[in-house]
Amino acid sequence: MSDAAATPAKTEQKRAINRLKSMYPLRNLVAQDYMDTLQASNEGKPTVWAMLNYWEGDLPLKAMGLNIVYPENYSTLLASTGSAEPFLDASDSDGYPTHMCGYGRSTIGYSYRMMKEMGGKIPPEAPAGGMARPTLLLGSGIICDARFKWFQALGRYFDAPEWCLEMPMMGTFEGTEPDLEGYQVKFLVKELQDFIAFLEKLLGKKMDWARLEELIDLAVSIHETTYQISELRKAIPGPMHSLDFWSSMPPSLFFAGDMATALKFYQDMLAEVKERVANKVAGINTAEKYRIVFAELPPWHSLRFFDTLAERGWNFVFESWGYHAPRPPDLSKVSDPLEKLARLSRNFIFNIHPTAKADGVANPLVETFLQIAREYKADGYFMHPLISCRAASAGLRTSQNFLLNRLNVPSLWVEGDIIDKRVFNPQETLARAEAFEQTMEHYRKVRKANGLDW
Amino acid sequence: MVTAVTKGLSLAKEVYQDRGKRVRELRKAGKKIIGYVCLYPPVEIITAMGLIPFRVFGDMNETITAADQVSTTVVCPFLRSIIDLGIKGKFNFLDGIVGAHTCDIGAGLIIQWRDYVKDAAFTHLIDVPHTDHAASVDYFSGQLNSFKRHLEEFTGQKLTDDKLAKAVEQHNRQRQLVRQLYDLRKPDPPLLSSSENLEVLVALFSLPVDEGNELLENVIEEVKNCVNKQVSKKARLLVWGPVFDNTSLYELIESAGASVVVDDTCVGTRAFWADVRPPYDLQSLAQRYLVDIKCPRTYRQSEPAETARSYDKDLESRFNYIRKAVTDWKVNGAILQSVKYCDTHGYEVPNLRHYLDTLGIPSLYIEHDYSERSLAPIKTRVEAFVETLG
Repeated sequence: MSDAAATPAKTEQKRAINRLKSMYPLRNLVAQDYMDTLQASNEGKPTVWAMLNYWEGDLPLKAMGLNIVYPENYSTLLASTGSAEPFLDASDSDGYPTHMCGYGRSTIGYSYRMMKEMGGKIPPEAPAGGMARPTLLLGSGIICDARFKWFQALGRYFDAPEWCLEMPMMGTFEGTEPDLEGYQVKFLVKELQDFIAFLEKLLGKKMDWARLEELIDLAVSIHETTYQISELRKAIPGPMHSLDFWSSMPPSLFFAGDMATALKFYQDMLAEVKERVANKVAGINTAEKYRIVFAELPPWHSLRFFDTLAERGWNFVFESWGYHAPRPPDLSKVSDPLEKLARLSRNFIFNIHPTAKADGVANPLVETFLQIAREYKADGYFMHPLISCRAASAGLRTSQNFLLNRLNVPSLWVEGDIIDKRVFNPQETLARAEAFEQTMEHYRKVRKANGLDW
Repeated sequence: MVTAVTKGLSLAKEVYQDRGKRVRELRKAGKKIIGYVCLYPPVEIITAMGLIPFRVFGDMNETITAADQVSTTVVCPFLRSIIDLGIKGKFNFLDGIVGAHTCDIGAGLIIQWRDYVKDAAFTHLIDVPHTDHAASVDYFSGQLNSFKRHLEEFTGQKLTDDKLAKAVEQHNRQRQLVRQLYDLRKPDPPLLSSSENLEVLVALFSLPVDEGNELLENVIEEVKNCVNKQVSKKARLLVWGPVFDNTSLYELIESAGASVVVDDTCVGTRAFWADVRPPYDLQSLAQRYLVDIKCPRTYRQSEPAETARSYDKDLESRFNYIRKAVTDWKVNGAILQSVKYCDTHGYEVPNLRHYLDTLGIPSLYIEHDYSERSLAPIKTRVEAFVETLG
């Protein structure tokens, strides 16, 4: 994803993190998407800028043969290549408040540069060849307000038509009403019908329903495979470091690249992780001393920092919920492809609600933290509240409280940002991490005393 | 009413200064008080169930302390203030609280309430779709039905069509009276100040609807019949933005030599401009709240399915109600204010400023952190802006 080199370099082989070989081809798929989209644009074919939409939009777009890029993902590239600042400045100069989402600001700045300063051409400083000018802007109402307001704001620079996908979202107790699922699915199916009618009108061609069915099946297989990889990551020592997850998540999170190819690569990854588990090979090259879960989005601009922690035996064994596809629901009895799609997407949001309710946790997101801590036997959480991301940061204090109070799992609280590297202080963080090791040791004893098994 | 002798603007000020006083009295008399956050929980349903809706605000003068234990500092300070007050027990007169997914943090507030504020027996979160698509209105109507069912369980009463229709009429009457109140600021000089106007509105959010309507009738009569203390000022401003429930900003602007004659905020016109249209059922409420309230939290387009889009046409469809306000209130400048970390309003700012430019209306954007102390540095900028309107 963001630490985007095409192939494993010699320097990486020396890193304290023991990277999976199967990660690299998956990582390259997203780079291929940028190139394919540029080529399509050069050939006069339509291209899409989309927000992560948890599959309800990705698959219809792909079935219509559209090339898609995700500005949210491109922003991680801007951050990790140190290219974000001029685009942030451009956003500021056009009047967007500086406290907004760093992803949003950087791609608003990119759009400003492209349309107001470059006459519609890609800014020459854009990494990976840049994002081609969009002919459709697809926002999404899922997860955060920025996902649709940011895309509406992009309409300031492009005359491309816009669409906003809907997705229900609510609290645990309302989200478990007995008749809720059918009512939500009906809503989503109607929205998808309207979206597809819009696409057909825009492109002047009909939806390829057979292709859509095929892609839904591939999506289910991809998610089933990634789910199995996630299950294997519970092993001790943890076989796969978070860095490998972040690098390989785009083909699962938004189906970057060709999906049949991605499925093959994930199957390779599953085999490699399985082998590591059998041989007790860890995701770091030192002995695993601490099993850490990362929340939420990492500092893309400072990923090398994880090597420093790996040298101290910190193995980042898993990451928070929002980037993992859950095990797909059973769709075998569903015949309508749009209903399949609605259920697949909806499952991402609502699969945790019943467990949260049973556990007496009001916030389903908090329940995911508890579940992950238990299942992955976390010694600690690395909490990374982001100065510019409300969605990823708002619930972290509550998660921190519940983790400590219910499970005696402590958290290291490190403020930072996904884009703005100035707010992340690696020296200070390292000093605090060293002190946090004592905290983790202490709570290990407390957990044992309380009858917990890790 | 609160006292036999106090009415009109004096009563509004009294309620504004102690918002919980009247509902505490009513609670002692056996009424149940349901707090609600933001504009989207339909007050008509609460009233129709025989409950008293009480809009929950924060406190700009209370330092946030307890909320720091449960939320990060990079989220809306208005909502942080509310949860802070909740944890401190300052809403202990509420029997319940209702929120809506008007923004992510707003929805999260109700969820946090369940974890950290134990006073309220009833909590409910209404999901609000992001678009005004036809399917979204139907979905939202279903959400209102869930809310209705939950309140029926809570009260043991059924919500009949007649009760709902009567409550809609009462609240529509209030909206009509508020529009009359705003008409009083159309003349030059306006007949009341923006601070007085806000005190009345905040009072309305703190009283049962029938008492609020009586207050409004008295205020309108009082203002029409008293000697106008306002003076003509060269700047007639529109103030835009999310919640602002404290007179301090208006006092700051008016002390800079301007009159705020109209607003587009969720304590002001947004709350009162749209009526519920017949037949006064849940679908009518869904239409009013999701489609007719013009808040940036909803994604609007000139034509949702249009395949050729024009930015200017898009802006016109999103902001044309502001054009009308500019004309009707003879506005010659606009102040866009926002609480920090408000995404739904923040993304709107350059686009709205562009639209105002096309109307020939200069604008100023200011940000604050929902504390009175954060307004002080803004004063110089406001004064300079007002000066340019001369």
